Amino acid sequence: MATTIVVAGKGGTGKTTVSSLLVQLLSQKGVVLAIDADPATNLHQALGVPLDQTIGAIREEMTEAVMRGAISPAVSKQEYLDSRIMAALVEAKRFDLLAMGRPEGPGCYCAANHMLRLSIDRFGHNYDYVVIDSEAGMEHISRQTTRDVDILLIVSDVTQRGIYTAAEIKRLIGEMRTRVGKICLVVNRSTNGLPPEIEKAIESHGFELVARIPRDEQLSIMDVKGLPVTDLPEDSVLRTAMRELMGKVGL
Amino acid sequence: MDFHVDIGPQYEGETVRKDDMHVEFGGPKVSAKFELVTLKSPDEVEHEKVEVIGPDIKDMEEGSSHPLAILIDIAGEELEKDMEPVIERRMHMYCNYIEGFYHMNQRNDIWIRLNKSSFKKGLDSFKEIGEILIFLYTSELYVIEKISITFVTDPDKVSELLPEALKVYEARDERLRGLKEDDVDVFYGCVLCQSFAPTHCCVITPERIANCGAINWFDGRAAHKLDPEGPIFEVEKGELIDPVRGEYTGLNQVVAERSLGTYDRVYLHSAFEHPHTSCGCFQAILFYIPEVDAFGIVHRDFVGPTVIGETFSRMAGVTSGGRQVEGSCGMALELIRSPKFFQADGGLRRVAWMPKEIKERYKDAIPEDLYDKIATEEDVSTADELAAYMEKVGHPWILGEVELPT
Repeated sequence: MATTIVVAGKGGTGKTTVSSLLVQLLSQKGVVLAIDADPATNLHQALGVPLDQTIGAIREEMTEAVMRGAISPAVSKQEYLDSRIMAALVEAKRFDLLAMGRPEGPGCYCAANHMLRLSIDRFGHNYDYVVIDSEAGMEHISRQTTRDVDILLIVSDVTQRGIYTAAEIKRLIGEMRTRVGKICLVVNRSTNGLPPEIEKAIESHGFELVARIPRDEQLSIMDVKGLPVTDLPEDSVLRTAMRELMGKVGL
Repeated sequence: MDFHVDIGPQYEGETVRKDDMHVEFGGPKVSAKFELVTLKSPDEVEHEKVEVIGPDIKDMEEGSSHPLAILIDIAGEELEKDMEPVIERRMHMYCNYIEGFYHMNQRNDIWIRLNKSSFKKGLDSFKEIGEILIFLYTSELYVIEKISITFVTDPDKVSELLPEALKVYEARDERLRGLKEDDVDVFYGCVLCQSFAPTHCCVITPERIANCGAINWFDGRAAHKLDPEGPIFEVEKGELIDPVRGEYTGLNQVVAERSLGTYDRVYLHSAFEHPHTSCGCFQAILFYIPEVDAFGIVHRDFVGPTVIGETFSRMAGVTSGGRQVEGSCGMALELIRSPKFFQADGGLRRVAWMPKEIKERYKDAIPEDLYDKIATEEDVSTADELAAYMEKVGHPWILGEVELPT
């Protein structure tokens, strides 16, 4: 059974950076399915792999094919989706990547999303870990997967807004049908410990498990050059902090 | 039987990642690939023969992709032509029973991978894969008295054989598209949309696709098989009460249960009295136009007012929510192709207006003599103009040429 980890948080806090390192480090322990659920679609760049097609594009294509009557009546749409998802899968060494792409346009997607959920959920069973780099909102967790979340990593920067958003996400997930194991707040780009105001905010929102990740100058240089996050040196500050974080949440 | 790898249902659902793959056949990188089961006379089938035309697995480079045709010939006294697709479909299951051998899709879309570990164990020839498949086929399907399998990997030969296979698939699809409500005992119900419309239960028959346009009868069957407890379920149609309106005892019962007792009768093929309910998810609306006593159709993407002055979204508000609304029915656009399209009310011949986009898209489904008589937004913009237009072009409904079935 796959361990599912969701990385969430306010935009710009470093979800994709955290996700990509997580995928890389976990792939040393088992086979990982990385799901890029952010419509901006850039997890593949952080991981240094190419991306051909998103699930969003597949969904649109299917809708269009249905309209044209181009799908054989002998092929069920579930089966069609399964095979298209398999074809869209980016297969790398010890990890695979699926990108969800753009959210749907107008019209009804109940059936299409239901079928997608089934496909992706069944698909995930073949992996040791599933890492979902989520969009800022959390809708897709219930919309695109029904799987239970083992670890929810909520990423914040050292700002009140980041912590507030993290608290909102924690509250929202409680209202959804998704069951969540551990919730961990990750404060990213913190240098010399946390300012007392932030400490206080974290405490008042009742976050128990907190990890800190320092700013990594090497990453800024690599981002400027457009290099994947996963090219960071073995002993980089960021990677070391990610290893510690993984130990803390039991990965 | 003694094989190099293990065989059994426990391997179903197991995939082979590129990392672990020794070779693959078909799939997106290969244009010519297919599998085909053909029923033959007993003297044409050499029982248990496995033939490989072209290079075998052991001759192939690690990590490579190849064309493949799998031709299965069967014979048996009780076998019928109609069983070919069913037996062909078993390929998917049986291939996936083989440890480290992964099969996806069907027909000319097959995608097969063999993993490194099974290759190392000695599964390096189609001869053995053929023997395993024959073993599975004959031990599970006693009606198969003789069976032979040919694997073609020679690229030119696969391309040469493909067009014939495509013709067979097309002929099968034609038969399926012609499936009638009378041909089946079960319909499917779908309550995926009940979070929006708690009393809505979509009924899916071979001649009625779900309102959203995404689920036809075959999808319903597949979905139910995959997830029997899911939102798509079997509906025993029961006794046919009214063949014109499409009313069935079993169906009425299920609709009563699923609509929480709100409705206990439904007409599948009429917009009046007990029309089908609508969720919020329909692709289009069939609406009654009192001035001309005929219907209009409008789809979700149509911007601006329809011939009755209302927009799609205004009308959707009236139609939706899981209610039976006379003269206002949510529908899938594909329903236009159904021979039973609102047949009790006069069907397509009572349709007087639709957006140009829809009229053009469904040109092949609209009778040729009717096509020019259906007005679009370019012809008229009010119901009065529509009445005049129908007079002018001689719309069959106005002329009284449409007889309602009884």
